Amino acid sequence: MSSGASGGGGGGGAASGGGNSNHQRGAAQRPNGQTQNKICQFKLVLLGESAVGKSSLVLRFVKGQFHEYQESTIGAAFLTQTICLDDTTVKFEIWDTAGQERYHSLAPMYYRGAQAAIVVYDITNQDTFGRAKTWVKELQRQASPTIVIALAGNKQDLANKRMVEYEEAQAYADENGLLFMETSAKTAMNVSEIFLAIARKLPKNDQSGGGGGGAGGSSQGRRLAEGDSGSRGPAGACCK
Amino acid sequence: MYATKQPSLRIKQADLKCKNGCGYFGNADWEGYCSKCYRNHMDKERQRKSNQSQHGDHSKATSFSKFEEKKRQQSDKKTKYFLPVFRKPSSLKETGRPEKYIDIRQMNPDADKLLAEFISAYGEWGEAVRKDFLKCVHSFTSKIIHELDFKSADELADIAQNYYNSYNNRLNNNTVYQNVTPDVRDKLLDFFERYSMVGLYTFLFCPPSTNDEDKDLSIQDRIRKLSWVNAHHLDCCISETSIEVRDLVYTAINDLLGMDSMKAPQEKLACVVRCCRSVVEVLQHCQGGPVSADEFLPALIFIVLKANPARLKSNMLYVTRFCYGARLMQGEAGYYFTNLCCAVSFIENLTAESLNMAQQEFEAYMSGEVTCVSAWESALVACEGMHQLCEHLSLLKGLSERMSAVKDDTQKLKDDMRKLKEEINDEVTSVLERTPLVIKPRKTIFPLTMEFLKSLPPLPEKPPIPDKGKEVEINQDVDTAPKFYQQNITLTQMGLSDNKPKLQLDITPCVNLPSASVVKPSLSTDFLSVPSPAADKSIESITPDDNSYLGLSKINYDIDFSDISAENSIIEDLGESRRSPTMSFTPDPFSPMGTGCPIMQSPLVPSAAEMPRVEVPPVRKNDFVLPFLEEIEKEDTKKETLLDKVEETPTICLPPPIKPTEYTGFSKQGSRIPSIPCNTGDVSSLNLQQSAGSSKDTN
Repeated sequence: MSSGASGGGGGGGAASGGGNSNHQRGAAQRPNGQTQNKICQFKLVLLGESAVGKSSLVLRFVKGQFHEYQESTIGAAFLTQTICLDDTTVKFEIWDTAGQERYHSLAPMYYRGAQAAIVVYDITNQDTFGRAKTWVKELQRQASPTIVIALAGNKQDLANKRMVEYEEAQAYADENGLLFMETSAKTAMNVSEIFLAIARKLPKNDQSGGGGGGAGGSSQGRRLAEGDSGSRGPAGACCK
Repeated sequence: MYATKQPSLRIKQADLKCKNGCGYFGNADWEGYCSKCYRNHMDKERQRKSNQSQHGDHSKATSFSKFEEKKRQQSDKKTKYFLPVFRKPSSLKETGRPEKYIDIRQMNPDADKLLAEFISAYGEWGEAVRKDFLKCVHSFTSKIIHELDFKSADELADIAQNYYNSYNNRLNNNTVYQNVTPDVRDKLLDFFERYSMVGLYTFLFCPPSTNDEDKDLSIQDRIRKLSWVNAHHLDCCISETSIEVRDLVYTAINDLLGMDSMKAPQEKLACVVRCCRSVVEVLQHCQGGPVSADEFLPALIFIVLKANPARLKSNMLYVTRFCYGARLMQGEAGYYFTNLCCAVSFIENLTAESLNMAQQEFEAYMSGEVTCVSAWESALVACEGMHQLCEHLSLLKGLSERMSAVKDDTQKLKDDMRKLKEEINDEVTSVLERTPLVIKPRKTIFPLTMEFLKSLPPLPEKPPIPDKGKEVEINQDVDTAPKFYQQNITLTQMGLSDNKPKLQLDITPCVNLPSASVVKPSLSTDFLSVPSPAADKSIESITPDDNSYLGLSKINYDIDFSDISAENSIIEDLGESRRSPTMSFTPDPFSPMGTGCPIMQSPLVPSAAEMPRVEVPPVRKNDFVLPFLEEIEKEDTKKETLLDKVEETPTICLPPPIKPTEYTGFSKQGSRIPSIPCNTGDVSSLNLQQSAGSSKDTN
């Protein structure tokens, strides 16, 4: 659908259908893979108040851009999507989070070990932008220091009811080093672009620290949870 | 400072900071410290502990008390492994270890199954792969067991994770696995974890060194207290009334409950995934469209609340510790497990605010003062209640129907009984009405009967005359008898007529029959001695006829009156026809039938018939009659039986009814006497015809 846009943005970014996740994870974990088309797997968390369109955004990305999606077993809560970027295959594993305020305190469990996060707000609702800011703050403090954070002003198609100015959000994003785009899940505007931008910003080298490859991320995430590798800095809560 | 365990609606920054005040953020699982401070803290703790353990006794005591505590709560299965908890001297441990390793293989039948599975699945990759795999498993498990007594659960978890990683590296780099495809390498890694964890399950699940079990109990208690929370409170759109949805909810609950029965962490994870997929399905049914986390998490919380799985925390901690870390951080399983952790965490820290209700209301619910009308429960209860109600109603209906039927029947029975009573009364009264007229006057007419009696033994009419003296005696005796046997007499009298000749005929047989063989000789020895054989036969034949008469009832009597001779012939025929099938006693049954009122006596007939036989033979005729009557008079208690006996005899003698009324007294006597002979006479039924013929002749 909007692959053209992604190509323009990503320089040769092309889409490939989702495949066996195990296989890809394994490949990503294995540094000895000589394949030119490197496979990187990233965990991406969706944050934001409920009803800002988190899940529709990701559904647009996953279902809209690629014709096929095995919806039978999985809801919109957990989705995977694979895109091609240059010589790298990037597989996104998208974790949706409950946006209700009462579940706010649980968020650290979700973004623990995540390499990327999209904080979504509704441009027609100022409050959601305020919440987005707190999410960003929390992520910067709690999550992996190398986490790539993107800010998405959703419902751009309702721009006539806009309550959050583009410039205001852009300025905030710049301040905090965030990726920022106004998106519309309804019209698919900027949906794949924002994912591509994230993919480009993510470190593709498996050996790189932080949230690099799946193997590194996972094992480190594990260790972090145990509290044994202090060098990583504070991380999310352990599952308990 | 980090505020543990009290999640408010808003987390302020200060709440998230490390307890040490170093400026970094803290974490509940690090006891509110940031990672660095937590590590320092733990190091200190560990040092303190090791110091203590060097000192010895203290730690022993504490660990023992802990062990006791565990033992109290846990099943016995683990007790044998708890022994090492006593910090034994190392020398002892050296010997203890190999035993335990042997145990692993022996204790886990699953391990052999897994080995077979491994061979079937990965055997194709060669012996080397298998050997290396088993070598690694062996080294891993023995390492864990070796460290089991010294290290905390978390440290053991680290060891496990390191082994997983190193085996993963080995898979990728070792030449043994050169030819193995990446896919299979992944599976081998999974299998490595599964195989070793199945073996180590008993040691590592809820280990005694942790307080996992307390957590289990506390969360269980917590969930129990929160049983009033329903989907509505959680803002989740599970429509609890739909059957389909309810089934799915039950499926989800079952999946979650199944987690406890699995051994390997990944198997437990698989249960969680199944459960969560069911939850997603539930939500898809309820709301349609894609299910986002906004709906999913509340639904999962709801499921956990309703399931209240056993050893929930132990299971989760076990998975967290010993599942290959990558799996928990990534993939569907990781996501759903994270959600489960979130759900449990939410439940643990649930407050009035998080349910959007007033504090007071919340507390009222928690304390049990107010019971919530949960849609879920009420739906279930209502459905079940309705169902039961219907069942009970139908049951009650059936019961009441049966009750009324029983009532009707009892009423009917009552009516019948009353009717019967009335009928009997009527019958009795009617019978009495007929009888009284006859009774008393007849007693006086003995002489005639006496004559007959005398004449009885010898059928020929001549002999009776000489025995007059005896007759008188008999008459006197008879006087008493009639009083007792009014009914019988009446019965006999019913048919009685003025025809003396007939009476003679009838009576004679009756009297003769009982005494036929014995009495005759005794009484009238001289006279009867000669004719007795022939006479007996004739008498016998007649008695049955008399019995048959009874059966014929009144009609016969009428006939009797008119034609004596004809009557005899008819009676004979009937008697014969009836007798032929049955032998001696047949006449008795007939007699009651015919008499109607005396029917009661019928069952006793045989005994009665026998009795006279026994008694009669030894005693002379005179003697016999007298004692018999006397007995009846004196023994009121025996009345019934005696009466019956007596009555029977009259019934049998009913044929005499044809006799003139005057002779009733004799008839009684005669009846008694004859009744006895009747039975005896019956024995020789073949002679009946002849006797009948003879009787006719006599007449």
